[in-house]
Amino acid sequence: MHLRYRAAYGFLAPYLLIFAVFWIWPIISSFIMSFQNTRVNPWVFNPGATWGRLFIDPAFYNALKNTMIILVIQVPVMITLATIMAVLLNSPLLKAKGLFRFAFFAPVVVGEVAYAAVFRLMFNLDFGIINKLLLSIGIPAVSWFSETPAAMSLLIIAVTWRWAGYNAIIILSGLQSIPEDVYEAATLDRVSKVKQFIHITLPLLKPIIVFCVVLSIIGSMQLFIEPMLITNRGGPGGGTETLGLFLYRQGFASSNFGYASSIAYTMAVLAILISLLNMWIGREAK
Amino acid sequence: MKSQSRSTLIRSLSLHAVLIPLALIWLFPLWMMIVFATMPDSGIFNPQIVLLPSTHFIENVANLQADTDFIHALMISFGVALTYTILSVLLTSMAGWALARYNFVGKSLVVAVILGTITLPYFVVVIPQFIMVAREFKLANTWIALIVPPLFNSLGVLFMRQAFSMMPADLFDAARVEGVSEWQIFLRIALPLARPTMAALAIILFLASWNNYLWPLLISSKPSVMTAPVALGSLVGLAKVSWGGIMAGAVLLTAPIIVIFILLQRHFIAGISAGAVK
Amino acid sequence: MAELSLKNVSKSFGSYEIIRNACLDIADGEFVVFVGPSGCGKSTLLRMIAGLEHITHGEIRIGDEVVNDVEPADRGIAMVFQSYALYPHMTVEENLSFGLRMTGNPKADTERRVQRVVDILQIRELMKRRPKQLSGGQRQRVAIGRAIVREPRVFLFDEPLSNLDAELRVQMRVEISRLHKELGTTMIYVTHDQTEAMTLANKIVVLRGGNIEQIGAPLDLYDNPANQFVAGFVGSPKMNFMSAEVVGVETGNVTLMLSNQGNVRLTLPLKDTPPAVGDKVTLGVRPEHFTNADGGIANLTVKVDVAEHLGNTSYIYANVASGEQLIIEREESRHDKTRDTLTVAIKSSHALLFDSAGNRLQ
Repeated sequence: MHLRYRAAYGFLAPYLLIFAVFWIWPIISSFIMSFQNTRVNPWVFNPGATWGRLFIDPAFYNALKNTMIILVIQVPVMITLATIMAVLLNSPLLKAKGLFRFAFFAPVVVGEVAYAAVFRLMFNLDFGIINKLLLSIGIPAVSWFSETPAAMSLLIIAVTWRWAGYNAIIILSGLQSIPEDVYEAATLDRVSKVKQFIHITLPLLKPIIVFCVVLSIIGSMQLFIEPMLITNRGGPGGGTETLGLFLYRQGFASSNFGYASSIAYTMAVLAILISLLNMWIGREAK
Repeated sequence: MKSQSRSTLIRSLSLHAVLIPLALIWLFPLWMMIVFATMPDSGIFNPQIVLLPSTHFIENVANLQADTDFIHALMISFGVALTYTILSVLLTSMAGWALARYNFVGKSLVVAVILGTITLPYFVVVIPQFIMVAREFKLANTWIALIVPPLFNSLGVLFMRQAFSMMPADLFDAARVEGVSEWQIFLRIALPLARPTMAALAIILFLASWNNYLWPLLISSKPSVMTAPVALGSLVGLAKVSWGGIMAGAVLLTAPIIVIFILLQRHFIAGISAGAVK
Repeated sequence: MAELSLKNVSKSFGSYEIIRNACLDIADGEFVVFVGPSGCGKSTLLRMIAGLEHITHGEIRIGDEVVNDVEPADRGIAMVFQSYALYPHMTVEENLSFGLRMTGNPKADTERRVQRVVDILQIRELMKRRPKQLSGGQRQRVAIGRAIVREPRVFLFDEPLSNLDAELRVQMRVEISRLHKELGTTMIYVTHDQTEAMTLANKIVVLRGGNIEQIGAPLDLYDNPANQFVAGFVGSPKMNFMSAEVVGVETGNVTLMLSNQGNVRLTLPLKDTPPAVGDKVTLGVRPEHFTNADGGIANLTVKVDVAEHLGNTSYIYANVASGEQLIIEREESRHDKTRDTLTVAIKSSHALLFDSAGNRLQ
């Protein structure tokens, strides 16, 4: 019996060591750093230079604002789209299901750098295929990279393209777990298909949709590669700078570790708060 | 009966009328990636709309090689992703096994810490990780730096723990009664039975490592250990660079993953969906 | 081969006791069955003997050795599980030899032992199959085979037949009986099915709520249950229990009134300290211990609710106004369906008396 306890620690130890060194300790360490001025040697406790600066730094507010705008628009658009995709993919009338599933899911496996490069080229003002197509149907070319609203839209389009299929697959697995006889019973009770969707499917899907929303919020909160590579480091002029990019710049371009840590914890707290709010809403309506 | 089959036909047609254009839009960027990658740079700047691939792929790869040693970077990426995947699957399987099948002091604490921190943004840890690896251990530009720190990922622990805890306990007790050691129970019974879950996990981890950008960007600056996403990312946004070359690089980076995805779609999707079922 | 003994064995999780002070002696070669309703602790007790569960207090001895801290594999036991616990990714052959291979048993000896099992259980044609390709009964055989291969001192069976259908269950029951005779090894067998217990055991241990209620040979338990629980648990259909009130006490005799059966009075012999007049007691009579009217110590007239005819015998389910149901076995006649009342008598010396706490009064 005692041997078995020892075996358990043996199985756990190697992972736990790495987990402690590269996850737990950094979590603590960056929390401590977020109260330190790290631009002097040795580092000193000075929350004014980190948390204090957050409150008065217009660049931080700009990044926060941009992140929130993207979040508020992109997450609902993407989840709605993903739900529609999932419902359509779940239809027994659909032919070549695997092909459609591939089409929507393939973006998930494409690396951020590769797709960022493609989007950058596709949305180029002068020779991008999107503007060429717009022109061919009489819409004037959009300067996707030099006007803030267009650049923000581009980011939202890019992120939605990449992650909608992922969420659709998760929602689809939720749909498939709803037992068929629930619908058969409803059909016998003469409940229309639309009403079945509203009164049966959606309520049963709610937990999984809330899960997707929370996951997407946490993801979009950390948006970094897209503004870095697609809109050229948060361009135009910081118009698409996100918290992730701002943190990267402060932490690694300016080596201001303390300040960057306080930004990281702001992100963490926001992600947790928004997720909790979401789960609370999800529970309340039950 | 006839009107019913007719309404079914209409429903089927409208379903496809919505889904086909949507699917084409979704495939469009991937298609354009291929088109651009096979086009000469002059073709990309041409005002005409070109939607079909051309024949200049090899030329574009050569252009890319002139800008950065991308083939080498791909090899680094592959080596890193493969090593990382094997190590991570092994470590997290062992940990998941311990957490699923044994009672020991501190178990609930470990589970609580993993579950409680799994959604924390990566940015919270990346700065201390960087300071530790680059400044304290002086391991920048090494394979160890590329592979070991990302092993913290606890997704596999939860994944494998779930798989192991769904196996019938009698199986392992039967082996214990037969005098099989705990290690052999793990290696000879638990792991073989968890193969589908391990496959799904391995795919997800390989994908994550293959596409990883931020950590390699921070920790590897020398061409000798530069991964493919970092090499490609370094070209994006440069003024004098071959767009066809970048697109060829994007294709080289994406194609292996797409092939794996097509071959193992079932495992991929099992892995993605399993993450949602807590 | 070995005898086995439990001395004051207890197990608790915090303040919750799963097994309380179990004492039991098992002789070499005995077939002992632990029986009781689900949650009574019978499987836990078996797993404690196997070494798969820790014991909080007491002492378990196998042969001359106290095995409290001995690993399961070193206790000289083999176990057959309810779910069979066959390794799904190995063939039958690999399943049988896995434990021996893993513990470095010499190859020739392993082969010899597997061959012996194949002969005993006649499973040669199954050797290359995987568990998935076997029927329930075949899986059960392989699971038993895997236990025999270990050549243990004690076999432990944890509800091994409960996943089989009724017919196969009877067949396997007979086979296990035959195996016991052939091997002569001590066997401990857990079941919730009292028929299995009655048919297989030399010795039955009845458990309830972590307590051993009674230990005895099958027919001893049947004839002389220690309390109302054992009386009700052993025997099928169940013993009838009738509420009664003590209305008269004399030396060696007690007179009862069956309050729910039309206040019928009857007198039983009693050696124990008699209860006081006015005490509530329970009278227990097995279905087969009724006889024709006036043939016993008291007549009961009941309303026939349902009659089940099984051919060789009939069961009359009778309801009284108070809601107390009686099951009466009538061997001699096929019950006439048109009659709706029936008068039967309770055979003397077959009526058991229990006090209000459920303890037997003799």
